[in-house]
Amino acid sequence: MMHKNWWKYLGVVILLYVFTVGMLVPLKPGITEVNPSSVKTGETVTFKVWGYNSNFTQAQTPTRAWLKLDDERALIAERVVIKSDTMLEVEFRIPEYLPVSKKVQDFSLILDNDADGPSVLPSAVFITQDSVNAARGTEVWVNHPVEELSNVSGMTFPFRNILGETIRNTYFHVALWLAMFTIFIAGVYQSIQYLRLKNPSRDHWAVSYTTIGVLLGILGVVTGAIWAKNTWGAYWSWDVKQNTTAIALLIYLAYFVLRASFEDPEQQARISAVYNIFAFAALVPLIYVIPRLTDSLHPGAGGNITFGSQDLDNTMRMVFYPAVIGWTLMGLWMVTILYRIKQIQEKLWEA
Amino acid sequence: MKKYIFALTTLQLLFTISAAAQGTGGSDFLRNIGKIYVVVAVIVAVFLGIVVFLIYLDRRLTKLEDQIKDQNE
Repeated sequence: MMHKNWWKYLGVVILLYVFTVGMLVPLKPGITEVNPSSVKTGETVTFKVWGYNSNFTQAQTPTRAWLKLDDERALIAERVVIKSDTMLEVEFRIPEYLPVSKKVQDFSLILDNDADGPSVLPSAVFITQDSVNAARGTEVWVNHPVEELSNVSGMTFPFRNILGETIRNTYFHVALWLAMFTIFIAGVYQSIQYLRLKNPSRDHWAVSYTTIGVLLGILGVVTGAIWAKNTWGAYWSWDVKQNTTAIALLIYLAYFVLRASFEDPEQQARISAVYNIFAFAALVPLIYVIPRLTDSLHPGAGGNITFGSQDLDNTMRMVFYPAVIGWTLMGLWMVTILYRIKQIQEKLWEA
Repeated sequence: MKKYIFALTTLQLLFTISAAAQGTGGSDFLRNIGKIYVVVAVIVAVFLGIVVFLIYLDRRLTKLEDQIKDQNE
């Protein structure tokens, strides 16, 4: 019993690990809000800064803060006053001119201390200048480069603005899509084998794989919609990624409609095998190519590859790869159950 | 039929929770805990998907059992 089913138990154990570690590892400290977020040049401004998971009061070295444009142009804070673990005030004396030839420029806020390590809020503050003088602006903005940042070790998931704790959905949403893709590949392989060998059991495998692939795909869309409701404000925003996945799933749903429309089992198996190959050929461009060509609201979109080195750090990899394997094994388990039911059904019909 | 009503009610409940967990603004409940309930809602959705699959299996097996019963009679 054990030696035959080891991979099912392996899948369950892996997913237990994914649930435990994926939920318990804390997020790295980050910045959630800066107020005011819009100021003018030539003023001395005190910004209130709210941290997330931060330990401002526990820092041994003085906390430093910068308004940063790029690697060279940054302004250091005159004063940092720590109010609590999650709130502090930073005072900047903003020069008369900005180092750019634009009226309005956005700056990132960077905090650094030895308790939390560096944290960044991109586009935290918009500064408006009345007149443009980039040369004079550059002189006063380049004195304090962002350097000698603290290095804090410990197991954390990265803090990303907008995402927050939902970065954990990488293991419960993104991993589902990769598991779905693996299952669909196995299904199309069985369809090709059916066309070559004309063995009915190949067709039973193909339909079992495709059923579970569609189940995982629907779960992917539903989990995405729940997240979108809380992030984009609506379950469905007609975003390119949502649309193309919906089309791909509808194509796969038509596979089952097509199957149901044939009486003759051999004809059913043959035509649905051909259709499955076409459906898979449509799936790849729909979910992997088209969303990359246009701009999407989806994290990792806008020309980026979702699983690039910037998006997944090493701690996340330690959970994400097991999650993909775990969900795939779970899916395969479901596939084998469907296949076995199908086989019994056939036996009963023959009798 | 009862199973469908159960599944629909649970799904409805899930969407209500996730809609209630929705937040904007600076200091509300959700922002304080960094949207962790969105992750919980997502995990619940996946769990419900597995439950739906179990219900589907249950129905197919019941059909097979009925067929075996018919053949034995």
